[in-house]
Amino acid sequence: MLNDADSKLLAFAQALELAIRDIYATLVDRGTKTGDELAILKLMHSHHVAYEQSLNGMLSKKAATSRNDEVFTQTFSALSDPTKTWPVLLELENTAVATHTALVEKIESPTAASLIASVVMVEARHAAIISTLVTTNLAQALDNPATALAAP
Amino acid sequence: MSQISRRELLRLSATSLASGLVLAACGKQSGVQDDGAIARLGEAPSTTALAEAEVNDVVLLRTASSLEYNAIDTYTAALGLGVFKGDLAAATEIAKRFREDHQNHADAVNSLVRALGGKEYRCANTRINDLYLAPALALITDEKNPNVGIDVVALAHALENLAAQTYQGVVELISDPKLRADAIRIGQQESRHAALLAQVLNPGLAAVGPTFDETTGKPKIAAIPGAFGSQTNIQLTVGAPKDDGSRTTLLLETPSLNSLIYEGVSC
Repeated sequence: MLNDADSKLLAFAQALELAIRDIYATLVDRGTKTGDELAILKLMHSHHVAYEQSLNGMLSKKAATSRNDEVFTQTFSALSDPTKTWPVLLELENTAVATHTALVEKIESPTAASLIASVVMVEARHAAIISTLVTTNLAQALDNPATALAAP
Repeated sequence: MSQISRRELLRLSATSLASGLVLAACGKQSGVQDDGAIARLGEAPSTTALAEAEVNDVVLLRTASSLEYNAIDTYTAALGLGVFKGDLAAATEIAKRFREDHQNHADAVNSLVRALGGKEYRCANTRINDLYLAPALALITDEKNPNVGIDVVALAHALENLAAQTYQGVVELISDPKLRADAIRIGQQESRHAALLAQVLNPGLAAVGPTFDETTGKPKIAAIPGAFGSQTNIQLTVGAPKDDGSRTTLLLETPSLNSLIYEGVSC
């Protein structure tokens, strides 16, 4: 059973995942990427759907009812230039990693922290692979310069 | 009134007598001096009790540090083999950077151990080494193995996955939320290492997600094998092909109770 503070933190994480899910869905629908690149967008979209749903299941009646609109709007705007797709997604995934990790510092439930950990481990892989589409700079694939979003 | 036959009565008496003899042999008799000259049933040499081995945050962090040193030692051994040539030439810089990351992780983890009042642990986990790394390196460096370079990368990939899984796994066991976040911060970088090495082993964007070998039906190495961080054992296939063409597969598992670095363990 989650306490109220943990529920709020997880709902914040879920709202972020809903925003990321919708960003990937927009890019898939837009059709500017094809072949293997489109397959990667679809793969990552499916992962964020899974994250949002798993958080929804854990939160039950306290689940988020809407995405983080601020993140969605800012990211959507940045994606208006098709050449920026991968750099923007890299920043988005790195922000998710930083934000979820910061949330774990405040979450009391070990089970909830464990779920977030399993999500972060794969979002970090997303970031590393997206980075290889942006640059050959190894440091950019390994280091996370993103700042965590302010949690409630 | 119960009916007991004479034969049953005799058998019960014999059983009681035998039990009495056994009990007498096990215990000391009153008034008899024990000079220790005759061994008795039930006497055993005294033993030294094992120290209490508590699994706490310090133990979990010390274990994580030990894995970092396994990784540092493995990359040092890999670089020493001089096998990163030709198509694998870029692996030298990758291995150096990853080794540096593991040293930074070890320093960070040991700093947390000290902050908790624990004793830092700055050497490799011998059980992980004995069970997985030494056998793998023996198979890889076998003179009949034609794929030493790529097998070294496969070993590094398995080790990075092992490290990532270990950090992910301890999140649920660590009691302090701040330490859980620290574990994730390090573990997520191990995940990035694993994803990049997977691309060396099975390159191309088509190999980022799960794919399968058309002949064997077995899953190929993927940079992003699933939606969530795995906690299953890690398959590592290395070494020279056997007569039937197959190669040895080792199964790596994250540290368990017999491979944790308890507080009484030192390098």
